[in-house]
Amino acid sequence: MDWDKFNKIFEGCELLGNKIHIKSRLHEVIQFVIENYPYDILKEIIAIHNQDGTVELVYHLYSTVDEEDLMISICVNDETDSIVDIFKSAEADEKEIFDLFGIKFKGHDNLKRLYMPENWDGHPLRKDYIQDDTRLCWNDDNDS
Amino acid sequence: MTTTTLKLNLGPQHPSTHGVLRLILELDGEKILSCEPDIGYLHRGMEKMAEQMSYIQYLPTVDRVDYLAGFFYSELLCRIVEGALCVELPEKVRVIRVMLLELNRMASHILWIGMFLMDLGATSPFFYTFREREMILRYFERISGQRMMYNYFVFGGVRRDINFLEDVEEILSILPSKLDDYEKLIEENPIFIKRVVNKGVLEKETALNYAITGVNLRASGVDYDYRKQDYLYKGFDIGKVILREKDSMARYRARILEIKESMKIVRQALDYLKKSSPLEQKLVNPINLKLPEGDYYADIEAPRGIASCFVRSTGEKEPYRLKWRTGSYYSVNLLRKLLVGEYLNDAIAIAGSLDIILPEVDK
Amino acid sequence: MNYLYFLYIEFLQKYNIPKLFGDITYYFIPFCIIAAALLVIVLALVLVERKLLGFFTQRKGPNRVGWWGLLQTLADAFKLLCKENITPDKADRFLFNLAPILVFVPMFAALGIIPYSSEFTFVNTSTNVILYLILAAFPVLSIFLAGWASNNKYSLFGAARSIAQVLSYELPMTFVILSSVVLASSMNLTGITLAQTSKFWFLGWFIFPNILGFIILFICILAELNRCPFDLPEAESELICGYNTEYSGMRFAIFYLSEYAMLFANSMFISILFLGGYLSPFGKYLFGSSFLIYFEQAFWLFLKASILVFIMIWIRATLPRLASFDLLKFSWVYLLPLSILNLFIVVMIKFAGGG
Repeated sequence: MDWDKFNKIFEGCELLGNKIHIKSRLHEVIQFVIENYPYDILKEIIAIHNQDGTVELVYHLYSTVDEEDLMISICVNDETDSIVDIFKSAEADEKEIFDLFGIKFKGHDNLKRLYMPENWDGHPLRKDYIQDDTRLCWNDDNDS
Repeated sequence: MTTTTLKLNLGPQHPSTHGVLRLILELDGEKILSCEPDIGYLHRGMEKMAEQMSYIQYLPTVDRVDYLAGFFYSELLCRIVEGALCVELPEKVRVIRVMLLELNRMASHILWIGMFLMDLGATSPFFYTFREREMILRYFERISGQRMMYNYFVFGGVRRDINFLEDVEEILSILPSKLDDYEKLIEENPIFIKRVVNKGVLEKETALNYAITGVNLRASGVDYDYRKQDYLYKGFDIGKVILREKDSMARYRARILEIKESMKIVRQALDYLKKSSPLEQKLVNPINLKLPEGDYYADIEAPRGIASCFVRSTGEKEPYRLKWRTGSYYSVNLLRKLLVGEYLNDAIAIAGSLDIILPEVDK
Repeated sequence: MNYLYFLYIEFLQKYNIPKLFGDITYYFIPFCIIAAALLVIVLALVLVERKLLGFFTQRKGPNRVGWWGLLQTLADAFKLLCKENITPDKADRFLFNLAPILVFVPMFAALGIIPYSSEFTFVNTSTNVILYLILAAFPVLSIFLAGWASNNKYSLFGAARSIAQVLSYELPMTFVILSSVVLASSMNLTGITLAQTSKFWFLGWFIFPNILGFIILFICILAELNRCPFDLPEAESELICGYNTEYSGMRFAIFYLSEYAMLFANSMFISILFLGGYLSPFGKYLFGSSFLIYFEQAFWLFLKASILVFIMIWIRATLPRLASFDLLKFSWVYLLPLSILNLFIVVMIKFAGGG
């Protein structure tokens, strides 16, 4: 892809292999990439909880036409834009990430617990998730 | 007179939700107004588990990600480790893996045919498919000691040399006639045709938008097969299976054709293995295995779409983060769209045609 | 009235018991005979079905309890008897408990109408074809009751489908039955049977002028019985178990057994209308004119019914289920016009033949 052009529009991006690390404007970046390059599948969204407390989201785009990968990664604190309106498959991924990492996606209207019970405390795949015994049971106090 | 819609919980204890899927349906009569899949009844925390296990400890558990196609997932993890340590696989190991993967794909698709027909209400084909699948599983048992959780691929090679090749020969000689039997029993049946043709039409754009991959995507007319760019399949002749009909029938046909293509690949592998010399491989020492710092990513064309594994390593014994991508997970999400407007008994058939396997969804 | 009746009265008169007592109590005898025969038939039928399905699907079928699995259904029935009868909390208790009874009683009565042989006809009225039709349609009511009273959505769907299905298949079925009635000029099942006698072996059977009617009736009976491919009311992969999802223990067993009893009764009914009932296919009976002839006649009827049952099981092993719209469409668009046309043709044949 045309890196220079991309870098001009969205400043402060880093290119590492086939991975672009962006600082913000996630929705616009993905919209831009979709409109200008033949990426047609959002293969998955990978979430990684970094040591510094942020969650890195890696959007793995794929083109079935030229069989090329593109990863767009962004570090977020606890809230970011949803891209459900671009890729419907993000619906499932964002729901999972909300459940396991506690990231809220603005614009996703069906964010609910997926694997964990509704009244569960904490988000298990975060590194600061404490696995003490009291959390391994239903916490009825939070039931509202 | 006022009418209200009916909320129906299809599952998790329901004979045709293939285990533990729960669909919350809103019905008007028998017409589905909305569908909300609820998953997680089989969630085993495979990703969380990985963070506390070393790679070799984790290897036997990954077969359970999809117990119908276990080889694919252990292949993925092996691929991650081999890629990270830059291990070159010997030619024979590669061929052995291809053969087992393709046999596994055949077993998985064959089982699906039975399941699908069961969803449509025909009980006999279920048993016929189990009979054929049994041959393959018996072979797996002979070489790996297990019928479903093989744990046969290890980092840098396979656990022991391939053997009992005459069993594969037998499978390849028996299976084509059985597939013809299915065609006679199933495809010429007017009731079957009525229930699958033009039902559950999955347009190309929808499929891509919902990240559907694998056979379901190819049945919607997209020419995309990850095996073509897979280094494991280098030198193998892989046939194209692309159908344009986009309906449940196309997905059924695609799987039948895929089994036939897989048989051709197995035949190629078998011819190579028969002439090959005893296996020489250099396994990765799994004790104190640490991957260099960095992100690793591997893809594979699993029976239910592209499966991939992402590993971030910080140089520790355990992965810092491990993520599975499975095909079924996105197929379940697709149900939300595909079932709306259908009638209840078509809905079961459509959901069945997507080949959803719940352990893969829940991970 | 018939042979059995006279035997019974004679027996009573030996002990100076008034005839009136005999007239009243006589009906308990066929009841007991039917009850005993029914149990044996149904238990055997369930076993045969499982064995046959096993055969069709390359399995062995039940083979652990008793020799050749003969006691399997007995063991199953015993197990069901021992199980707890659960009535769901939100169910309508009265109707919920009434439904299994309502499915059993008419089925029992229907079996009383069937002429098993020239002497074993327990209830012989001049229009018992109509009586049979009414009794055969009765289980649908109890299916609906069961589905409605269970207060379960799957049961409700099963019940609703069942009603729609029976309503649409009852009509062509009646037209076809009417064609047999026209051919026999009789509304009595014995009369219809006897009308099929001919000099040339089995050529007098109504299946020969009326093969189309036979096929339509067979399909309708399949639908009426909720058998595959019309098993939508209890479609396992869709509605779990349909109308009897909530039933357990003995009540479930009653539904299950009556389904098989109805299967056999309806098969006999088709045999009577089209396959010559208790008539021998060879034109004359093997036992000449001895007392055994009655049993031979019953044997022929059972044999014909068994062949029909076998075909039904075969169909079940082969075909997938129809979709509900196709099911209704099939009846209204194809079967109903065909059956009317068939009736028309049959009437033409009848009167052209100078009947």
